[in-house]
Amino acid sequence: MIPEYGPGRTVPHPILFRLLDSEADDSTVPEIKVAHKSEYAYYPGCVDYYDQEMQFSHVNYGETNHGIIFDSSIKLLRAVGIEPMILDRSFMKCCGHDQLWQGKVDLFRKMRDYNAGIIRTLGVKTLITSCAEGYRTFKLDYKLDGVRVVHITQILYERGLRIPPTGEGKRVRVAYQDPCRSCRQMPVDPVYEEPRELIKRVDNADLVELKTFRADAQCCGVAQMMYCNDKTKGLTYKRMDEAREAGADFLLTACPKCLTHFGCLHHENKWRPEGEREPFRVMDITQFLAERLAGPYPSGGNIDERRKEPPLPGRKGT
Amino acid sequence: MEVERVRDKVFEERPGFPTQYGPDRTDRQPGSPLVPHETYRDLVSIFILVAMLFFLAAWIVPALSSPRNPAVTPFIVPDWYVLFSYGLLKFSTVLPEFNVPGFLGLAGWRWTEAFWGFVLTNIPLIILILLPFVDRGRENRPAKSPVRSAFGISFLFVWMFGTSMYSINNLILQKWPVIGSDDVLKAFIVWPPILAGVAAYVGLRRLGYRPMYWYRVIPLGAAFLGTLGHSIFILLTIRGYPEFTWVAFYLGILTGITFVPAFASAALTEKTALRFTVAGTAFLSLFGAALWLTYYVFDPHGLYAVMVILVPNMHTVLALPVFSVITGYVGLRRPYSTYEYLLNECYQCGKCHTVCPVTKVEDNALGGLNLVYNSFKKQHDGVPMWTCLACDACSAVCPLDIKYSDYILEERAKAMGRPAVDGGGKE
Repeated sequence: MIPEYGPGRTVPHPILFRLLDSEADDSTVPEIKVAHKSEYAYYPGCVDYYDQEMQFSHVNYGETNHGIIFDSSIKLLRAVGIEPMILDRSFMKCCGHDQLWQGKVDLFRKMRDYNAGIIRTLGVKTLITSCAEGYRTFKLDYKLDGVRVVHITQILYERGLRIPPTGEGKRVRVAYQDPCRSCRQMPVDPVYEEPRELIKRVDNADLVELKTFRADAQCCGVAQMMYCNDKTKGLTYKRMDEAREAGADFLLTACPKCLTHFGCLHHENKWRPEGEREPFRVMDITQFLAERLAGPYPSGGNIDERRKEPPLPGRKGT
Repeated sequence: MEVERVRDKVFEERPGFPTQYGPDRTDRQPGSPLVPHETYRDLVSIFILVAMLFFLAAWIVPALSSPRNPAVTPFIVPDWYVLFSYGLLKFSTVLPEFNVPGFLGLAGWRWTEAFWGFVLTNIPLIILILLPFVDRGRENRPAKSPVRSAFGISFLFVWMFGTSMYSINNLILQKWPVIGSDDVLKAFIVWPPILAGVAAYVGLRRLGYRPMYWYRVIPLGAAFLGTLGHSIFILLTIRGYPEFTWVAFYLGILTGITFVPAFASAALTEKTALRFTVAGTAFLSLFGAALWLTYYVFDPHGLYAVMVILVPNMHTVLALPVFSVITGYVGLRRPYSTYEYLLNECYQCGKCHTVCPVTKVEDNALGGLNLVYNSFKKQHDGVPMWTCLACDACSAVCPLDIKYSDYILEERAKAMGRPAVDGGGKE
């Protein structure tokens, strides 16, 4: 092993990861305040950090909106009668998935012990994540005895989410990308059926399968936020081309990281002529479902009005 | 989709990107050549052996016992490695004798006790000879073939031991009259092999693929407790002995040598544990040896008095420390950690390589980016480890269900100099 090819060179967002890693060593005692105490806990994860990185940094002035995942999840959970206790990042740390897979096992252990302690203290019975990586990490890599870890699509399906017909006549073709962390890598409870069943409940949505799906589904191209380069973008291209060939109008995923990388490439091509652009929208499955439910988003939807039109690429776009 | 098309799309209007991340791959085969490497190594081993024999022959005078007294009948017993057969000959007195009728013009003969002994001796050997033809399984590791291992433990260890014990049944009954009768010793031939076989089967099935941690901690802990217990027993027995303090001191050093690997593999992370074991046992051994020599210079007779106590108990207090050190060292060495062990199942069918998404786009990767391959071919140059997406597409198609992403975790942790994923810490 030659160290210079290690993750120090390959993590494309070094500041973000310095920030996340420094959390592990932070030993200040947090003030745990939850607005609504419940045995159902929702862990939004680090989506807001990725939003900072993807939406507002020079990397991508894109329209990829991670904050909406949080809002949509709360909206959907309320629709099935769950008012979750939100495990806010003001007192929780990162779940440690990326640190673990980048080889920083000691950081992961610190985060795991810290988070597991808080989850036990709060008496959580069901831990809901909207993130495939969080699902895998809490379920397999944490030792949370007595806590049921579910992906949000599982609990929505289980509680029988109903999506009333919106009356839109136009049919949309929806493709679902299976994130590897919640499907193939789960020896127990892989999330295959639930998202598909939920998509079928939207009255004007037709579920189409990509060329590779379920356990054979190809990766979105990047894992654990390492190696953002032309090769990984080639993989993302390949996956998005599958969606184009399937004639999808929406490419849904259940993992914020997949969303990040699809969105990143999607946005990079926005300036290209019509035929070369990917014709579909990329969004998280929670956003897709929540948009089809009546009612406002809990915190206003995190929509930036200025970003309706696709901006120019590079620093000049605002 | 065509690989070329992906690459063309990716590469257009993006000049200057790196196409190669590591040094050039070389297609070298694992292992080292017979000449000169293996030959030199064998010659060195042979010379060491000859030197040892020479030393022993030249300097160590073999002990001679008293001359034979024709008035006393010597105790007749065969060499130790055929004791089991002797025991079976004695045991076969309980089996029935009968006449075998003649057939095909052959004369009939009597199936005697001696013939029973012969047959019983050969049954395990026949099983051993037939085993490769009957059990065609690919696996020869104990955890993966529990039936074979159970037979091996049952026959080769327990049954042989029991029958060897029975060959000197008179002596045993004389020394330990509490056993009572010869029938108890006969039962000792029959039941322990069955019990040991069942226990080995169940234990191996249960132990299965536990992390290496338990393979180390259980025997090392047992060795430590055994040495400690026996030392305390010896010390309690010899209270009032003039050299009591010195015996206690050496027993303390020997118990300490068993304690070091046991403690290290139970409580420390792997890398630290290995260093701790080597340093600790080396220090204790050198200290003990230095003290032994000093003692020999100043008081040879006192040393003799200590040896009188230690040598009859050497199977425990001298052999177990050696066992501990070797087991601890071998068990803590990196190549024997869990995932190497699991990866050895790979028979290179190449399905993983076919589905690996990275191979579709990565330059220089079309010849085998997959780490399973590279680990096998010792072509681990760091590129596959960090470009791997850990998407587990390979594990999904693996016919042997090797969890490749777990191996990636292990390797990355190793490369970062972090504690091991398994066995390092308490969960």
